[in-house]
Amino acid sequence: MRKRYGDNLWDLLRILAAGAWSILVGLYITGINLIRPGVCERYPRRDHRPDYQPRPGYRGDFALLSDPERPGGLRCIACLQCQNICPDQCIHITPEGKGKDRHPVQFRIDTGLCQFCWLCVEVCPVAAITMTPDYETATDQPQKLIRDLDTLRERGRNIPEPQRVEPVGCVADGGA
Amino acid sequence: MTWDPTCVTEELVVNMGPQHPSTHGVLRLILRLDGERVLEVRPDIGFLHSSLEKIAERLDYRQYLPYTDRYDYLCAMANELAYVRAVESLLGVEPTPRCQWIRVMMAEMNRIASHLVYYGALGMDTGATTVFLYCFRERERILQLFEDASGQRLLYHYFRIGGLRNDLPPGFCEGLRSFLDEFPRRVAEYDALLTRNRIFRSRTEGVGYLSPEAALSYGVTGPTLRGSGVSYDLRRAAPYYVYPELEFDVPTRPEGDVMARHLVRQEEMLQSVHLLHQCLDRLPPGEINVKVPRKLKPDPGEIYVRIESPRGELGVYLISDGSEKPYRLHWRAPSFHNLQAYPEMCQGAYVADLVAILGSLDIILGDVDR
Repeated sequence: MRKRYGDNLWDLLRILAAGAWSILVGLYITGINLIRPGVCERYPRRDHRPDYQPRPGYRGDFALLSDPERPGGLRCIACLQCQNICPDQCIHITPEGKGKDRHPVQFRIDTGLCQFCWLCVEVCPVAAITMTPDYETATDQPQKLIRDLDTLRERGRNIPEPQRVEPVGCVADGGA
Repeated sequence: MTWDPTCVTEELVVNMGPQHPSTHGVLRLILRLDGERVLEVRPDIGFLHSSLEKIAERLDYRQYLPYTDRYDYLCAMANELAYVRAVESLLGVEPTPRCQWIRVMMAEMNRIASHLVYYGALGMDTGATTVFLYCFRERERILQLFEDASGQRLLYHYFRIGGLRNDLPPGFCEGLRSFLDEFPRRVAEYDALLTRNRIFRSRTEGVGYLSPEAALSYGVTGPTLRGSGVSYDLRRAAPYYVYPELEFDVPTRPEGDVMARHLVRQEEMLQSVHLLHQCLDRLPPGEINVKVPRKLKPDPGEIYVRIESPRGELGVYLISDGSEKPYRLHWRAPSFHNLQAYPEMCQGAYVADLVAILGSLDIILGDVDR
């Protein structure tokens, strides 16, 4: 059961002394942290630290990689695998052409539904769809969340290669 | 002035929540009060219900994985681990040794991150703001490592059926080591700042008592159970992956009050540091993925897989009918079962104690309601 304090004078003084000591310890620790380097960063980091880049493999906004040799100028072969694996059904593709000429004429991603799970990127057989490190996608209009073919192509124009996470084996670096 | 049990005032029914900041999400507590004393507490749950079990029935095994992150969002790795283990057991797939070590590492890092949120939130609930900010500073370093590895800070989707999304990125082990070297000193700071604080101690000691018998009969697990003196940890009781090879203690406290549960979690963070040091020392090289078929069709059957999440026993009950989609998926959520014991703990408490007791349960409403 809960203890009761302050029943006699000695007890009360002891409690007061312990409380004062707690406050001093607390002030000491907060004082130490006052002189430690700060950890807060301004948002967005990019303005504050222009060289800031999220790590490769960061799951941000979408892009479609371009390939000038192919019809439509995109790597995408409209195989619809990303559309099928998407858990949220937020990808809608209208394909055109047969065999090697198959390409999308309509490619819609509703990023409002998307949960950025990376499954579409993983499943793509030609590494055509990718996610960019761009994380500032907030908007005040829901229709602006929908990415169509032109937006995706424009975003992918500057990306030479899809970002892949290189499996750098970091094996036991300490003991064995 | 002492409490006079014969003095009875008019009873009052008060709703605490669902928007109350100390109910950790959207929990509504219906309180029957006699002055400042609590006569009865009825938790009203369901505000964060998101049909995550039903969603599993319309998605295939691979598609459901990102959803597992979303229900107990503070320990997403643990949820993924439970689900992935269940599906892999149904398929009869055994992950590679390196994959198992990395999964255990991620689960332990997530345990530290989750306990840090708990630690700060309990401090906030009892009126100490500073420790919350310090805890989040340390948690941020873990989240940074998770972001490097998985591409996201909170909803990782890092585990895959049969392996992982990718191997550990360069610099991960060094970053983790420097964090682990520093972290025990920071825990000592929190200990002096919060746990030894006179005010915090009088808010928590002897408050919210839960007897071991009651805890067991309610199905309470995790640090809440160990705070009642029952040494039960699934990493010991039903070990999985590489836990039998690792050396760690299961901290228990006999007192059964808020302070006991708090100390158990504090000690668990240090045990996780110890576990992570061993993982880093012994992480084997090799492949991380095993080949699984493109269409996952487990044989008809059912399985129950349980792991020790930061909150307790997290179980996945999965029934397959031989098709690409689960026939039924059920989560045995630790927060849900721990919350059942809440009215028992609140017997004779003050209103202000309710907040501390709820904080010490460390429930996540996404986990309770699913």
